Amino acid sequence: MANVSDTAHAGHDDHAHAHPSFLQHHFDTPTQQFNASKLGMWVFIATEILMFGGLFCAYAIWRGLDPQVFDDAHHFLNKIMGATNTVVLLFSSLTAALAVRSAQVGKRNLTSFYLVVTLLCAAAFLVVKYFEYSHKFHLGLLPGHCFGHPGLSGAIENGREVGTCLRTTGTQTTSMPEWVKAVDEGGQTRVLPPRANMFFGLYFVMTGLHGLHVLVGMGILTWVLIKNVQGKFSKEYFTPIDIGALYWHLVDLVWIYLFPLLYLVGKPE
Amino acid sequence: MVTEAHAHAHDEHEDDGAVHVHIASTPFYIGIFLVLICLTVLTVKVSYYDFGAANIVIAMVIATTKAGLVAAFFMHLRHDKLFNTLSFLGALLFLGIFILLTYDDLSKRGRLDPAYGGRVNVQTGQAAPGGPPATSATYDALPEEAPATSGAPRPAQKRE
Amino acid sequence: MAAVDMPVAGGHAEDSHGDPHAPYLKAKSGIGSWLFTLDHKRIGLMYLAFVALAFLVGGVFALLVRLELFTRGRTIMDGETYNRFFTLHGAAMVFLFIIPSVPASLGNFFLPIMIGAKDVAFPRLNLLSFYVYLLGVAVLLFAIVSGAVDTGWTFYTPYSMQTGASVIAMTMGVFILGFSSILTGLNFLVTVHTMRAPGVTWTRLPLFVWGMYATALMQILATPVLAITLLLLSAERFFGVGIFDPKLGGDPVLFQHFFWFYSHPAVYIMIVPGMAVNSELIATFTRRSIFGYFAVAMSSLGLALLGFLVWGHHLFVAGMSEFATMMFSALTFLVAIPSGVKIFNWTATIYKGSVVLASPMLYAMAFIFLFTIGGLTGLFLGTLSTDVHLTDTYFVVAHFHYVMMGGTVIAFLGGLLYWWPKMTGKMHDEKKAKVGFWFTFIGFNVVFMPQFIMGSRGMPRRYYDYLPQFEIFHKVSTVGTWILAIGLFTTAYTLLEALFRGQTAPRNPWGSAGFEWMTDTPPCLANFHETPVITRGPYDYHLATPEELDTGWDKVKAQAQAKKD
Ligand SMILES: [Cu+2]
Repeated sequence: MANVSDTAHAGHDDHAHAHPSFLQHHFDTPTQQFNASKLGMWVFIATEILMFGGLFCAYAIWRGLDPQVFDDAHHFLNKIMGATNTVVLLFSSLTAALAVRSAQVGKRNLTSFYLVVTLLCAAAFLVVKYFEYSHKFHLGLLPGHCFGHPGLSGAIENGREVGTCLRTTGTQTTSMPEWVKAVDEGGQTRVLPPRANMFFGLYFVMTGLHGLHVLVGMGILTWVLIKNVQGKFSKEYFTPIDIGALYWHLVDLVWIYLFPLLYLVGKPE
Repeated sequence: MVTEAHAHAHDEHEDDGAVHVHIASTPFYIGIFLVLICLTVLTVKVSYYDFGAANIVIAMVIATTKAGLVAAFFMHLRHDKLFNTLSFLGALLFLGIFILLTYDDLSKRGRLDPAYGGRVNVQTGQAAPGGPPATSATYDALPEEAPATSGAPRPAQKRE
Repeated sequence: MAAVDMPVAGGHAEDSHGDPHAPYLKAKSGIGSWLFTLDHKRIGLMYLAFVALAFLVGGVFALLVRLELFTRGRTIMDGETYNRFFTLHGAAMVFLFIIPSVPASLGNFFLPIMIGAKDVAFPRLNLLSFYVYLLGVAVLLFAIVSGAVDTGWTFYTPYSMQTGASVIAMTMGVFILGFSSILTGLNFLVTVHTMRAPGVTWTRLPLFVWGMYATALMQILATPVLAITLLLLSAERFFGVGIFDPKLGGDPVLFQHFFWFYSHPAVYIMIVPGMAVNSELIATFTRRSIFGYFAVAMSSLGLALLGFLVWGHHLFVAGMSEFATMMFSALTFLVAIPSGVKIFNWTATIYKGSVVLASPMLYAMAFIFLFTIGGLTGLFLGTLSTDVHLTDTYFVVAHFHYVMMGGTVIAFLGGLLYWWPKMTGKMHDEKKAKVGFWFTFIGFNVVFMPQFIMGSRGMPRRYYDYLPQFEIFHKVSTVGTWILAIGLFTTAYTLLEALFRGQTAPRNPWGSAGFEWMTDTPPCLANFHETPVITRGPYDYHLATPEELDTGWDKVKAQAQAKKD
């Protein structure tokens, strides 16, 4: 067994190949390094799925128990904006996959081009998200006890003057929000039921965490892009591009579920 | 130029330790993308019709198809090591356990009070765990003439 | 562009890592060689140092809490301080000590060696995980300085949403520590999958590695849920998202579901590594193959899987639905199967083995004894009708201390004594180690046996004061902590003495057939001088050559004699 005199694979990696520069010292072959990196990334994706999973669990519970709230509140999300963002993310996923492909066939400049396009799409996604968020802020459709904050608009007709965010109004800190009346995305004035704050709480937490992942993904892709421009990658070694793209696809995967769950599911008019 | 389908015919030196992966063609990726777009359009279109309880099923089936396409081809699972697929599906399995058992408890524990949001034990009429707060000041501030909407749950009567 | 023309990225430069054939402690020197090391052995040692420190801190809090309970009413501190102290004891012991204890220190050191690898798959991630751990410690310290937390280590809502204590800092600290734990688990899982040396098949994997593998699975699958739970709790405090807040339409019991979906598997993240160490100890000191190797390996995976199905037993009296309580109770009983498989296989291994009662073996036997008590009392708590009476009493406290301390900590100490010569190259004094053991063992039982009794008589846990009929139990229990402290300090002294003044240890001082003993003592930087080719299992004493099993004590004695002459 582990006799000190035994040698492995009779110099498999010692003279059959030069140890390439990208191969870290503790790996025997590039394949071993590649498989380890890929598996590591997939395991990381598993952890991400379970982390988002907590939110999906909360969503499933509150939607299952209280579907009416979700039916009514989802009219305040703009389907067209959501769909636009979906297309943008899907397209960025395509370009990320093509970036990996170009790296695999050794076309460095093409890889850079696709990475830049992916980054631009990510930025576009965030811009659309910004407009959506600011519209919600404007209407006071905020999570939890900030819900019903009249903010800048008179669109909300509360039973009484709430002033500012309920949280800071004094002793009566956390209590059920007011019934809130606002103009929905279809241009219809609509009264939101009690606990609509739950919908917007989930909406902001889920899309917020997803947005954070978009930002992190942009950081990773930028790093990969810089390394690619510096010529660190080749047909033989493109692992970081592959890993970065996997992360980006994960961001896309989450959104593929968030979009129908938040924007589409519910009774149409 | 960039359409070589399989730059992968290296099986003769299988153990040279270099990385060999399946490389799909650019048109293939674009094809997948177009299918994804079609599915997105479909799911938006379908959302304008009411299928009752099937709404969520339809949306989730379409979403899962899309996710499957992204995972299998954009993320290369189709031609990757089996264990990578397993770790992906394993995560979903454990997430399923989490959601299922938690949902089981919450769905069987009392009813949700339509006005207050807490839960009420149907048999006894008492607050179940996660039940309503002792007082609800905002409840009294309910607008007198809240216009009826698409069936927003209305409290039976105003509390004095 | 050819690969060889590529500029060095990260690079393969042996010189920057030191001589791969030099002993790992001497391959490089200077403070930088520790702070920036990528060597899994050094990272393991650094983890060990901080984990031991955390154990000391948590232990001091335990001593103070017990001292306060020595008399009725106020003894040394007021009620609020008491609440903070037992929270700190729990949080430090759980998050800073037990969870990283075996995997991050012993696991980091021995897992790559046991599979014949040069290092873990991601050495940089390994170092990062250590620094993330330190960051978590720093944030926790900040939380303590800024007022500590009085919620208990479980942070139950709605109290944790209302209390003025620094809950957000505390949860952020725990969040960061969880991240460190995920990184370790991810690293180990990938290492076991991709880094095994030729001949290390899955059926030849040492049981320690199987245990680490099962632990890694749980760390990966459970810890992310803790992360999102703590994020939601923080969000709850910041904006009142409402998911856990009944006033906003949420449900506080949902928090308990979220929390225990992580924290029940976390209990197995704590105990399975202890079991993993124990399997190694039992095999070595009975000089025979583990009885039912495959069953023991699979029982680790079984525990990992079942750990995700039973969390509801912490919610029996929280008002869960009746159906869920019954289901979770039934599922909880299933846990007895893999635990029983381990206990019976260990005892079967000892039966007719050539038992050597060295100090690590004493710990291994104590583990079997104490874990059996801890496990069986768990059945009382998994049974719905008895649990209603025993929940939140000292019975629960005694139960989980028998599992966590009687299990994991005892195995950790045994593992430390067992591997200390391999890690440091120095042999400890067996006599002192045994004295330390007996004080620890007796002290431990004196602390927690009375707690079973008073718990079953209704003494609630976490109370600052108690009725006169419980006084005698509390007194005995507190005296027990002092005996226990003597034992632990003796053991610590034994190990430190060995480190600084110990006899040089031979390659295989215990005469084990395990793979890790086949390399130098202490191992060279690359673990093995040549990639080993494994042709037998780690417990195949009948296949091991006499040279492999040779302890090398003769040579050490001869050298010592020669020096004297
Ligand atoms: Cu448990």
